[in-house]
Amino acid sequence: MAADTAAITPADTTDETIRLLRELRRARSRKQIANLAYWLYLAAFALFSYGGWLVAAIVRALRRPPLPVADTPMLLRAVPAGLAALALLVLVFLLWDARWRGPVVIAQPTADWLLDTPIRRDRLLRPRYRVSVLRFALAGAAAGLVPVALLLAAGLGGSGLGSSLRLAGVAMLTTALLAGFGAGVAAWAEAHAYSRLRSVTPAGLLAVTALAGLAVLMAAVRLPVAISTVLLWSGPWGWAAQAPVALAGGSARLWPVATLLLALAATAAITLGDRAAADVPAAVLRARARTLGHMSAAVFNLDARRVTTAYRGGTAAYGRARLRIRPPLSRQLVLPWRDLTALVRTPSRLTWSALLALASVGLGALAVRAPHAALLPLTGALALGYLAAAGLCEGARLDGDDPRRSAQLPFRYDSLARWHAIVPCLALAVLAGCPAAALAITTGHAWLLPLIAATIAVLVGGALVNSFRGELEGEMFEGFDTPLGNSSGITIMLWYVTGPLLAVGPMIILWSAAVTSGRASRTLPEAVLSAALAAWLVHIAAGRARRLKSP
Amino acid sequence: MTRTIDETGSRDPLLVLTGVSRSYGPLHALKPVDLTVLPGQCFALLGVNGSGKSTLLRIAAGRDTPSSGQVSYRGKPLREDALIARAEIAVAGEVSSTYPDLTVREHLMLVAVAHGAGAQAAGLVDSTLAECRLADHGDALPGSLSSGQRQALQLAAVLVRPRRVLILDEPEQRLDPGARRWLAGLLAKEKAAGAAVLLATHHVELAEAVADEAVVLLDGEVVGRGTPTQALAGIQ
Repeated sequence: MAADTAAITPADTTDETIRLLRELRRARSRKQIANLAYWLYLAAFALFSYGGWLVAAIVRALRRPPLPVADTPMLLRAVPAGLAALALLVLVFLLWDARWRGPVVIAQPTADWLLDTPIRRDRLLRPRYRVSVLRFALAGAAAGLVPVALLLAAGLGGSGLGSSLRLAGVAMLTTALLAGFGAGVAAWAEAHAYSRLRSVTPAGLLAVTALAGLAVLMAAVRLPVAISTVLLWSGPWGWAAQAPVALAGGSARLWPVATLLLALAATAAITLGDRAAADVPAAVLRARARTLGHMSAAVFNLDARRVTTAYRGGTAAYGRARLRIRPPLSRQLVLPWRDLTALVRTPSRLTWSALLALASVGLGALAVRAPHAALLPLTGALALGYLAAAGLCEGARLDGDDPRRSAQLPFRYDSLARWHAIVPCLALAVLAGCPAAALAITTGHAWLLPLIAATIAVLVGGALVNSFRGELEGEMFEGFDTPLGNSSGITIMLWYVTGPLLAVGPMIILWSAAVTSGRASRTLPEAVLSAALAAWLVHIAAGRARRLKSP
Repeated sequence: MTRTIDETGSRDPLLVLTGVSRSYGPLHALKPVDLTVLPGQCFALLGVNGSGKSTLLRIAAGRDTPSSGQVSYRGKPLREDALIARAEIAVAGEVSSTYPDLTVREHLMLVAVAHGAGAQAAGLVDSTLAECRLADHGDALPGSLSSGQRQALQLAAVLVRPRRVLILDEPEQRLDPGARRWLAGLLAKEKAAGAAVLLATHHVELAEAVADEAVVLLDGEVVGRGTPTQALAGIQ
């Protein structure tokens, strides 16, 4: 058995090895198929038992889709850029996915036990790639329903069941082709341009934002038609948008040609990806198999935090932190300094929070402008504001994950929640508060300022409540039986959403009252109530922290 | 198993690392290192945690690309994905996952068959299990093994396959003193059979027992070289 000085000539053992693996895992494969069948049965059962009214409502809506309204021509002008933005978003998503998972992915044990054997990589990897392409295409087809729903809701694209279904079919087909194209390009990038994938996502997102901005501009101002034409022929994202644009009543007469081009591009990309799949380096496969393994374990344990940690582990860049903030001389400022350092060293987190905050301000402005229909935009604004606050509370979250991290700090553990509130409050005040205040002052709604300030504190308070939630406890999975089933699902969901529920829920009510009254005198009570709510939320967070330290 | 016996018993270097360094952004994990491993030789890498041993091993195995310098295997540039590297270089060290539904024996069967053991695979697996003191655990699922037994399984996975070079990252980890003596005997047998062994270890006794040459790394830099005793004496 020991090595000798032989020149080892590897025989092609691929077929034999794969056959053996299949034989050894046959029982497991059967079990997996049975599980899949069971879940499909459950889904169908749930759909027919509980979702019948939903299906009926959809069919009714498709038979009599909303009619065009006064704003419809304005919306139609925005459709080419809007749909191209959505199509580009699909591609950016697939390239982002290729950064840490990608269409060419194998299970961790396969990476650990078979990658460094002389079996042929193409036989191992191509079947996985093909399954991924199929999954992406199916998911793409499902995603195609999103623009259809938006178009139909806007009174575009359907005068009856037939035309609505035609629009849905065409949109699903083009999005599926686009997803196939993206999967092929992603597989090629995994094999030949993996190091460059990192820079593609931000650039792509920037382009998506620019297209979305252009769509808004086109709706507001009548721009030359040539801009839409250039957009629709600028690449696969434009080709994919053409058929829905045409069926929605827009100008895209050559949409069959564009769809054919898209089909050809998808075929070429899928073929290219198929060839490239075998060339994905073992190091890349091993790293992503490990990430996926960690992530699957976290998902299985319903631990959202570990899912994020696993993702970050898979996409982390090496290096030393360059941005430094001088440590404070006062011990009281240690925690804010740490939070601020953590924040400036993760610019992507800060950027996301800034974008969410701006979107939140935008929706808030919409609600103030149209108080009679303020509920939906207000809910969206507060939800996005909460997400922005949650992103800024990373320091608290890290302390909540592991109380040992703060063991050396000169604070009681339960007082950390209060200290951790400082930087997120200040950051959110800059990212959302300042633009909101500027907007409020310039539009004559300066009376909203106290409420805006209090809302920032409430959202951060809610995020802190969630930051100190600790680990999901095993007993939560047990629950108790009710006539509607076991309670564990609800318990776990509530455990996850306590923070946003306590922060966003009451604020929707307070903001609705303030916005609908439209009077300066009415906002003060709401602002005072919000401040009290913020203090209560921080108190709850401190209580949770205390329990984490000494359960 | 398909093996063509090389009657010449060549003593040409198997693995040659020339000026190999590795940086992660501004962090220099490994400063330029030269290293040559001959057939039948055991080369030990010594050093504290974070000194660059595992980085050097990953580069030597072709699992990482050096920032500068070259790695050649049998006179040709080394790539992990190259067939010859997969067929002849056996690597153990990084904690490996296992198929939850396959037994210890079935894992080893898979490796043996993939490396061309064919009809001899079952016999080879049995002898490897016995050699790695896992004979009683062949039908166990890896999840039920102790950490020391899992370590033994990793070693079994490299021993059940043909190899010219054995790259081991701290193989003594989680092994009891008796098992460490067994490991030393095993590496001595590998050397005697003509395999080259590249070993990173914290266990100076193991290095002194089996290594012909050693380098001591500190902050990614070679600070001692020679026999294990000389290399360690140099830094003291």
